[in-house]
Amino acid sequence: MTSEDSLLARIQRHDPQALADVYDRYFDQIYRYLNYRLGEPDVAADLTGEVFLALVNALKVDKPPRVSLSGWLYSVARNLAADYIKEKYRTVPLDDDLAADDSLLTEQAYLAHLTPLLKKALLQLTEEQQHVVALRFGQGLSLAETAQLLERSVGSVKALQHRALASLARFMPQEVDHE
Amino acid sequence: MSDSFESILDESISALQAGIPVEEILAEAPEYAAQLRPLLFAATVLADPNPRLVPEERKSALRAVYMQQVAELPAVAAPTFSQKTQAVFRIIRRRLTPKAVLSDLATVIVTVALTLLMSLLLLSYVAQTALPGDFLYSLKRSSEAVQLSLTFGAARRAGLAETFNQRRLAEIEQLIQQNRAAVVDFRGILETKGENLWIIAGQTVFLPTDVILEGQPQEGDEVEVIGFLRTNEVLVADTISVVK
Repeated sequence: MTSEDSLLARIQRHDPQALADVYDRYFDQIYRYLNYRLGEPDVAADLTGEVFLALVNALKVDKPPRVSLSGWLYSVARNLAADYIKEKYRTVPLDDDLAADDSLLTEQAYLAHLTPLLKKALLQLTEEQQHVVALRFGQGLSLAETAQLLERSVGSVKALQHRALASLARFMPQEVDHE
Repeated sequence: MSDSFESILDESISALQAGIPVEEILAEAPEYAAQLRPLLFAATVLADPNPRLVPEERKSALRAVYMQQVAELPAVAAPTFSQKTQAVFRIIRRRLTPKAVLSDLATVIVTVALTLLMSLLLLSYVAQTALPGDFLYSLKRSSEAVQLSLTFGAARRAGLAETFNQRRLAEIEQLIQQNRAAVVDFRGILETKGENLWIIAGQTVFLPTDVILEGQPQEGDEVEVIGFLRTNEVLVADTISVVK
């Protein structure tokens, strides 16, 4: 039995120490995920707290995670992020200044110029693509780990990752000075 | 886009995450460099190597709220042996629907049948080299009998029977070479008929006084011989019968 399986079994018995361990073990990961997706540290911290309260509520109604604890936590975080983004941009449209400056840039300047641009462009991706990008690049998870959390095949995650990067690459300047 | 490019992209991303510069990665796959370059730069920008964490004070405050909720959870006792047993029976009962039982039964039957078939095919293949007296020899003869029974047309059946008879004669030669004794049988033309030594299909056959002769064999007749090959290479007939 892995430590996650053991935690899963113990939280199903409402073991307070196990629930404390869950918080200490997963809080930073979930916060990083939410902050990566939202780019708003305060909101991400609040939503991270909500993810763990959702776990307690699930235990109260006897619907605890049964297969994968991390998968369940990421899934709740993903839904909260998607709801927040949907609500926020329902009234405030996305900036339309995403077109990149095509002037010749050095590689350093190029990356510095791109960072805020791509963070905004991330919101133009499908929700599932945003989730994959956040797990692969924000969390640094492997393809197999990402596939497991999404309950998808490695091949389909590979395809999602490719489509996401190809969409983001459209916002990038064409000329780079590699000197 | 092809799956191969997606795989190359993923390998390139792994290299990037391991700290290898973009240009070095592109040099490894020059034919894909133009396609890979913008994607890898996007991946570089998207990486979050030094993520910001929640200040400890905030984290502790959120933890306190969470632990307060945890404290209000009702205690759940560990399941007793009886509860575990009941849970197992519940699972079994759920599997006892006609559809599930039929499905399980079909799976078992197909698995057993396939296993038996594979084992039989493997043994039949191994038995092809068996000689009279060997453990697998009866399997070799049974498989030949099945082949004969599944062959239609008198000419084809006769041809196959002759092939098998040639095997019997070859087996006798092998037994003689290995100086082994065994019960043998074969068919052939009675070429020479001496007093107690006959030559049948090139084999010298000794006829003891108690030999059983069926159908008064004459030279030129096709006969079937059942006998015992001794280790001194003497083939002693037990029964010789004329083939009708």
